[in-house]
This record gives sequence, C-alpha cells and structure tokens, in this order.
Amino acid sequence: MARAAVEMRSVSKRFGPIEALADASLRAYPGEVHALLGENGAGKTTLMRVLCGALAPDGGEVLVENRRLPPGGTRAAAAAGIGMVHQHFALVPSLTVAENVALGTREGSGLRLALDRVHARLAELERVTGLPVDAGAPVAGLSVGAKQRVEILKALYRDPRVLVLDEPTTVLGPQEVDWLFGVLRSLVAEGRTVLLIGHKLDEILRVADRVTVLRRGRTVLAQGRETVDAPGLARAMIGRETTRAAGAARAEAGERVARVEAVGIRGDDGRMAARDVTLDIHRGEIVGIGGVEGNGQRELALVLSGRLPPAAGSVHLPATVSLIPQDRSAGGLVPGFDLAENMALAFHDDRAHRRGPLIAWRAMRRTARQIVARFDVRTPGWRATARSLSGGNQQKLLVGRELARSPDLLVAENPMRGLDIAAAAFLRDKLVELKGGGPGEGDAGAGGRPTNAPPGIVLFSTDLDEVLDLGDRVFVLVRGRLIAVPEEERNPAGMGRLMLGSERA
Amino acid sequence: MDAAALQAFLEASVRLAAPLALAALGETISERAGVINIGLEGSIIGGALGGALGALFTGSPGAGVLAGAAAGTAIAAIFALFAVTLNADQIIVGTAVTLGGLGIAGVVYQSVFGATGTALTLPTLPALPLPGLSALPVIGPALFSQAWTTYLACLLAPALWYFLFRTRWGLDLRAVGEEPGAADAAGIRVRRIRFLAVLGAGLLAGIAGAHLALAHAGTFAEGMSAGRGFIAIAVVVLGRWNPLLVLLASLFFGAASALQFELQAVFANVPYQLLLAFPYLLTLAALAGWIGRSRAPAALAHPWPPRSGE
Amino acid sequence: MISQPLRPRLRSRRTGPLAAGMTAILAAAVLAAAGLALAGYDPVAAGHALVSGAFGSWERFASITLVRATPLILTGLAVALAFRAGVWNIGAEGQLYAGAVAAVWVGLAFPAAPAWLLLPGAMAAAAVAGGLWTLVPVGLRFRAGVGEVITTILMNFVAIHTVAWLVHGPLQEARGVFPQTDPIALAARLPRLGSGRLHAGFPVAVVLAGALWWLLRNSAWGFRVRAVGASVRAAAVSGRIHTGRVVLGAFLFSGMLAGLAGGVEVAGVTFALYENLSPGYGYTAIAVALLAGLNPIAVLLAAGFFGVLQAGAAAMQRDVGVPAVWVSAIEALVILAVVAADRFLRRGMETGAGPPGRSAASPGSEARESSSGSGDPLSDTGG
Repeated sequence: MARAAVEMRSVSKRFGPIEALADASLRAYPGEVHALLGENGAGKTTLMRVLCGALAPDGGEVLVENRRLPPGGTRAAAAAGIGMVHQHFALVPSLTVAENVALGTREGSGLRLALDRVHARLAELERVTGLPVDAGAPVAGLSVGAKQRVEILKALYRDPRVLVLDEPTTVLGPQEVDWLFGVLRSLVAEGRTVLLIGHKLDEILRVADRVTVLRRGRTVLAQGRETVDAPGLARAMIGRETTRAAGAARAEAGERVARVEAVGIRGDDGRMAARDVTLDIHRGEIVGIGGVEGNGQRELALVLSGRLPPAAGSVHLPATVSLIPQDRSAGGLVPGFDLAENMALAFHDDRAHRRGPLIAWRAMRRTARQIVARFDVRTPGWRATARSLSGGNQQKLLVGRELARSPDLLVAENPMRGLDIAAAAFLRDKLVELKGGGPGEGDAGAGGRPTNAPPGIVLFSTDLDEVLDLGDRVFVLVRGRLIAVPEEERNPAGMGRLMLGSERA
Repeated sequence: MDAAALQAFLEASVRLAAPLALAALGETISERAGVINIGLEGSIIGGALGGALGALFTGSPGAGVLAGAAAGTAIAAIFALFAVTLNADQIIVGTAVTLGGLGIAGVVYQSVFGATGTALTLPTLPALPLPGLSALPVIGPALFSQAWTTYLACLLAPALWYFLFRTRWGLDLRAVGEEPGAADAAGIRVRRIRFLAVLGAGLLAGIAGAHLALAHAGTFAEGMSAGRGFIAIAVVVLGRWNPLLVLLASLFFGAASALQFELQAVFANVPYQLLLAFPYLLTLAALAGWIGRSRAPAALAHPWPPRSGE
Repeated sequence: MISQPLRPRLRSRRTGPLAAGMTAILAAAVLAAAGLALAGYDPVAAGHALVSGAFGSWERFASITLVRATPLILTGLAVALAFRAGVWNIGAEGQLYAGAVAAVWVGLAFPAAPAWLLLPGAMAAAAVAGGLWTLVPVGLRFRAGVGEVITTILMNFVAIHTVAWLVHGPLQEARGVFPQTDPIALAARLPRLGSGRLHAGFPVAVVLAGALWWLLRNSAWGFRVRAVGASVRAAAVSGRIHTGRVVLGAFLFSGMLAGLAGGVEVAGVTFALYENLSPGYGYTAIAVALLAGLNPIAVLLAAGFFGVLQAGAAAMQRDVGVPAVWVSAIEALVILAVVAADRFLRRGMETGAGPPGRSAASPGSEARESSSGSGDPLSDTGG
C-alpha cells in the first residue's frame, strides 16, 4: 500500500482530571475517505485538534507524509498540508466570504489586500468542486449550509493534502449530505485524503473507504469498509451489544398548555431569526421540531420557554417552563458554581428551598444530591464545580435540574447531544415516561404540578430520526419558518424535501 | 462673532482636537483588534512628561515629541504585557495603568523638578504654515498654521482607514477583534497582533501627550491629561471605530472645547467650573444620542485564549 | 461562537485569592523598594517611616490609619459588590462626592434639627445621592446600550467640577474667603470613639462589610447577584432571575455605598466640603476590592492595608522626603501584582489536577457583551 498521508501513533492527552486520549492511533492514506467514529466524548475531535496543531499532545507522535508534524500550532500544521473544517465554524461573521477566505493567507502584493485575486481563485474553486458561494456576501447573512461551504472552500483554498471535517452532516439536510459526499469523493479522486468525523453509522458507511473507531480515547478498531458492518461498528463504539429502542407510542393530546401565535423573533445580530410561527402545545405530547442547526431553533426555544420576548405576535405560556438549552456550558450551567449553586439557579426562590429571604442551602444540597443520584452524574465531590464535570455529566445535571422543576412545559434543544448512548437512552425513556404522566422527577423537591398531569414537551433536534421516533407531532424549522410535516412525509427523506423546498423558496 | 474671533475659535478647535484625534485614532486600532485600553490616559500623561523632559533636555520640541511617543509606548507595553501576554482583564489592567501612569508621572516630575516646582517653560512646537493654504483669509491662519502633530493627526486618519480596510494586516487585525478563534484557526497570531496594536495606540497617545505639553501649554503640570484618554475612548465609540469618522468626532469635541472659552467670554456669569464640566457632559450626551445600531468589535475586551477549559 | 469566553467568577474555596494577595503585596513591596532606591531614597528608612507612621501608637493607628481606612472600606465594598454583579462601576469617586455634597447640604440646611434625626438624615441623603449619581450611567447602559466603564469615569469628572463650582459658589462659606463650605451642624457629625479622631463611621463600615458578606452568601438576593455576575446568560436561561433588575439593583446599591463613604467622610472627618476632599478613595477602592478578591470581609483587610499605606505616606514624606504621590504609583503596582499573581496561580492550577479557581477579579465579560449593546436577546439592555 502507498505510504500513509497521516499517521498518528499512541497519542495521549489529558485535560485536568479528564483523560481525553489514552492511546489513539490512526493511519490514513492518500485517495481515501477515512471515517473516524466514536461515541460522544470518545476523543474524536481532540485527536483531530492534535492533528491540526490546535492542541499539543502529551504523548505519542504525529506524522504527515512520513515527516513529524513540526511544533508551532495551527500554522505549522497548515503548512504541512492539513486543512480543517470545524464543527463550530471558524468564520468572522462581519467579513465577506472572500475576506474570510483571504484571512491569514499571503494573498496580495506587498501590504495591499488583493481581494480581486481571491475572487478569481474562488470562482475557479467553485467551478472545480461545484460548491456555489457568493464571494462578496457577508458571512453573517448566510445559511448554515452556505457557511459550511465557505469553510470547505476556505480549507481548499490553501490546497491541503489532508482535509479534516468534524461532524459536517449535523448542519445538513439529507439531500445536502448526499451532495457533500459527492464533493468529498471528487476530492479524494485528486489524491487528497479526507478525514471525516461522525457518529451516524449508516451515513458514514456510505462514503468511507476505511474506518477507525475510538472508544474512551483509545483506538479499538481500524479496518477497511468492506470488512465492517453497522452492528459491528456500534459494538466497537460502545463496547457491548445494543438493542434499538422500539418506537415510542404516539400519544393522545391533553388540554392545551401553551400557544404561540404569529410570533416573530429577532436574533442576536438584529435579523429576524424566526417569523410567523404559530404553535399549540398540549399536555402529554411531544412536539418534535427537526431542522438543520442555526435555523432559529435557539431563538424559538427561548421564546417558547418565556426567556425572550418575541418581536411580534403573542405568547401564552404556563407557570413553570423548563428549558434545556443547547449550549449547556454557556447557557444552562455556571461553570464556576458548585452543584448546589447550579441547582439554585432554578430553585433559589421556591418555597422548599428558602427561608424568608434566605436560601436554604441544606435543602438545596439535598435536592442536588437526589438529582445527581437519579441521573447518575459522576462528580469528583460535593464541592465540585460544574466545570470539573465532563460534558456528558454536565448535560445530565442540567437535564436533571430542569425535569425536577415539575414543569408544565418542557422545551429541550438537542438534549441528547453530548450524551453517551446509554445516557441518551435513559433520557429518551425519561421523556416518554414524563409525557405519559409518569412520576417524572417532581418528587425531587421542587413541588408544584401534581404528578398526574403530564407536561407538554417541545423537542428540538438536528437528528431527524430522534424527532421522528419521539415526536407525536412533527415539524421542521427552516430559516425561521415552522412547517408541519404531513403524515405521508413522516420520514427522513420527506422531511429533507420539506427543508430543501423551503430553502429554495 | 467677527472674523478675528471666528479665526481664533477655529484655530483653537483644531488645536484642541489634535491630541484627542491622535489618541482616539490609536485606540481605534487597538479596539479593532479587540483590546480596550483604559490605560490610554496613562500613556497620554506619560507622553506629556516624556515630551516635556525630551524638549527640555535637548532643547528641541521635535525630539520632545519622539520622547513622548517612546514614553507613551512604554506605558502601553506594560498594559499589553498584562492584558495581552498574561491575558488579564483589560478593564482592570487599564485602570491600574492609568493610576500608575499618573502616579509615576508625578513621581518623576517631582524627583526632577522638586515638589513645589515653579511653572516649567518649555520650547514649543512652532506653527507650520502650509504654503498657499495658510494665506487664505480666516481659515488659512486657523486651519493651516498648526503644529506638525496636528497635520499628523489629519493624515493618519485616511492612512489608518486604508490600513484597516485595504491591507492584509488590516484584515487580519479586524478578524482578531471580531472572532479571535476564527483568526487563530486561520493561522493568525492573535496575541502578537493585539500586542502590536496596543503599542501603536500607546505611541499615538504618547504623541498626543507631547502635543499637549509642547503645542498647547508650553509647560507640564501633573494631571494635565485631564481625562482626555477617557474622552478619546468615547470618541472612538462616537466615530464608530472608523478612523475617518473618529477624526470628525474629534474635531467636534475640539470645537466644543473651544466653544467653552467663547462661552466664558459671552456668559461671564456662568461659573467657569461648570464650563470645565462641559466636555464631559457633552460626551455623555453624545453617547446617549448617537449610538443607534453601531456595533463594537465583537471580541472587544474578550481575553484570548478564552479563559475556561472549553 | 468560538471565542465565547466563560469567565469563572465564583470564589475559589481554596487558598487561591489569599495566596495571590500575599504574593502580590510582597512583589509590590519589593518593586516599590527598588523604585525608591533607584530614585535615591533609602528604602529601609522609608519603610520604617511608613510603618511607624501607620502603627506608631494605638492613638496614631486609630486616629490616622483606621480613619483613612474607613472610606476605603465603604468604597471598596461598593466596587466589590458592583464587580460581583458584573457591573464595571469605576465611578465610586464621583458617587462619593455626590454623597459628600448631600450630607453637607443636610448638615447645613437644618441646623436646629436634633442629632437623632439630623445625623441619620445626612447619612441617608449621602447614600441616596450616591445612588442617584449612578443613574446617568445606568440609563445609558439600559436605554442606549453604552457600557458603564467610560460613563462612570466621565461622571467622576462631572462630580469633581460640580463640587468645585459649589464651594466657589452657592455653598461657599459665609466669610467667602476659602473655597469651602461652612462647617456642618454639630448634630450632623458622627460621634468620636475614644479620645482620638476615630469616629463611629468605622464600626458602621465594618458591620456593613459583614452584612454584605452574609447577604451575598446566604440570601436569595445575594445569590442572584453572584449568578448574574458569573454568567448573565445562565442566569437568564434559568428563567428565575430577572437579570436587568439584578444588575440595576446592584449598580444602585454600589452607588449608595460609595455615597455613604462621602457622607461618612464629611460627618466624621472634614465637617465641610471642599475640592480634593477625596485623595482618590474611589480609585483606590478598585485596588482594595481586587486585593480582597471581591470578598467583603477581605475588603476590611485590604482597606486596612491601603489605609496603612496612605497613613504611612505622610510620615514617609515628612521623615524621608518621599513625595506622597508615590502612593498612587504603589497602588497601581499592587493592582498589577494581584492580577499577575492571580494569572500565574491560575495557570498553575489549570495545568495541575484540580479544577481551576476563580479569577481574583472582575465582572464577567458576558456582562460587558450586553453593555456594549450587542443586541443579545438575553442581555438586559431592554430592562
């Protein structure tokens, strides 16, 4: 076989108490799409950040075309031919596409910035790859899919030998995924190497030539596409057999618990993030809202939970609304607060947790302990700050807190993300149990709703399978518009068509 | 207002605008790179003292300006060392650098000239009439017969505009101030750019201070910066982080300050202490009315690298 | 989304801040000594003069050092509270002057009022005036989205010039000789403690420090302040905290504490208003609050430290000839040393095993994002 384009040998990396990589190895060859698989927290992104120079490994070595990757961070790695498309885009919103592409390049004569040359080369790249972009448009106004195209073009502009894509499909609809995979195939046909991080097996197996699986920071499998299948890979990722949960039973809706009517929402940047959204939510149902990230989910979740006033329309909400925001570390929890203090964010003013104007810290700690026990949150100790928990455990803590409020309405944005498979299954069961009026977590101390009246649940997810599995009624959110998915389109392809159709409109 | 008064008013407006413009243009660059330097006041007073000492010991006001620039840069370097290299909080470090700058300027001044110090007389920057233009009636002597530092401010505005919006370095610098993470991923050295931007701002603030001592007063007094560093930061906001608008905003403030003297003459019964408060009140009023939807660089005052382990 | 900074705000329960503070003081002392030596002074003699000036006798300690520390405690608490809430109140100096003006006005306007009414009335007026002085920055932050850093500083200049006008004009003493007011009524003065010049303002400040510490720790209000300061976003997302209201309350309360400092200074020390009443207490307060790691109890110690420094500075000038202006340079040195020690300690901890502690200082940057008018839907600018 040809010599490896990238070889990583026994790489290790710790973050404080957390061992992100223990013994991770990877070998990828020119002309192949190489998939890097693993559960959330397995170390995929960490390994790729080591490759692109953003992190220095504690041990092991990295070879690019048989030469050690020189120290010197991202610049050195880029010079060695590594290009990275980040999951969270590394774009400057206020700059144009061409300016973003030109960033950090030596494009221009002397000091002058030669944007015309950037435009010309971008047009050339567009032609070769078939990735359409408007080079003069500011990035801030682009759709998420277009931003990803910019990221890919930005990487290709530097003519990398190895292109790393971190979970690129989470921001794409099903049809766009096919199209991206076509582009990747044409890139490897030119002799480049594509490293593709993912966790959806069916998707990955459609495009990958070889597969490396990480589990808890170690490489547990490295094989060609032809010798692996989805169940085998799942076993390798999780370390044991899995059984797929049966589809949740569709529920009969109860009384209406919330209504938003003709709502328009202004986003951070002053643009309308969502417009003309009308939605009724009933007790005992899960409203599933699918869609590609960045189409107004965050803003709509904030409005549905009463955290943000809408710019237009009317909102009628029940007394207690729980919100599980997507960005737990910047939104749900305070990283520097300990467990009880993070619980107090939700409970500091309810009757069970205060004595007059004072907080009853003893009761608060008791509540924290119950939530930690019930949701199996692994903590280094009672005084531990939220920051010292792993991502998955932070998420469990947050979910536990929000369910413990005994809400009338629960709004959750990608709540399964960051959880390992067992925890995600546990949370899924909890949601199903909750809508059925089960015990929920109401006895954790918050009081309020009688346990037999189930809440209404709104579930936002970029994972269409999750929405289809759990949603009693299913919608897609596209560029801030909420579209009901009719019964005959209740499948990923159908939802994808709705998303694309509206995107063109 | 007769022609002579108008001429005096215009001349004073431009003269008073120059130090503000120099400091604010520098601050524009550093804020565009994501660093708010509240220590600007320290660099200005340092520049004033440096300018005074330099001019006094060499006898040349030009050398004084150089010394002032060096002093302003040195004080900014302290700020950059803490706020950029050590990644400490910009507001806190800036406050300390302003306090320290005022203190050290006092210490040095008193050790050189003694605590009682009779008023210092310095060689001043001569007015440099521009051939032709300065012969124009009224505006000629008012606008085109200024110290060279004033012309420097006027030339710098378009130059810095070109730098920011038409050069590679300018693009990199703006990216650092908007999304340092994206800039870093593109291989840009975020800290280096921020450090250099702060030094540049200190250099200009130092020249501004030297201009105060050598073109305005012809002397040095403790606290003579009189809050100009803070007003300059407000001017950057009013100028929407655009060097050309920043220059205009500085001229507006220069005119307002010059008006203060006119008002003193016209309304003899308005106590002059209240007139002294006028520039600050005007700044506050302008901030209240002006902002609208103008937007600061997104990463202004954000540390890099980000503080938490995420 | 990439540069989203997460600023640790919670007090580390380890020895972090204390260690940082001690290291900082030591480093600042060494540097200051080196500076003095460089300027041709004898640093040992200067240090001796400083210590004996501040601690020479109980009388001296109480009458000079503790009297100096009192306004520093109150303004230090003001700054600490604001910073804990994510509010950049750099305007304690102006708020102090506002309080001093109000207290003097009350003390002059009602000469016949009994002490039990006049003194509390003057103190209340001082606190209210300090709070009112924050209204312009508050309004600009909430209505126009202008950050309070610059506006509070500008208001300091406005306050100082206004006081200058008052003592030259409407409030000038009846004789009309000096730019100062007449002395306030005896009934408006704080009682002295013991035979020296130590006045009742000192125990009041100590009690307020304890109360603030206790409230921040145990009350729902204190928790909300800490939560908003630690993360505006998390506080808003919790759905239980009205962040705008919390910020507003903390800002006003901070201004009131600083205003009270002005009232206490007038009623306990100067008995009259004049220019340069404050030698920059409101700025030194920032150093006090930072050195204290924003902990109200530690503010007592930090204010004591700067009280010693200021009290000793006079002796240093008299005995060794070191100009008093050195003190402000040394104060800046202490702030920088605290910041540096904090950064180095945190670096050590970040690479070490434990979770990183909290920075010794500073309002969360989230607060600043919203104050810069970014239009963040969760910011409190609409409040």
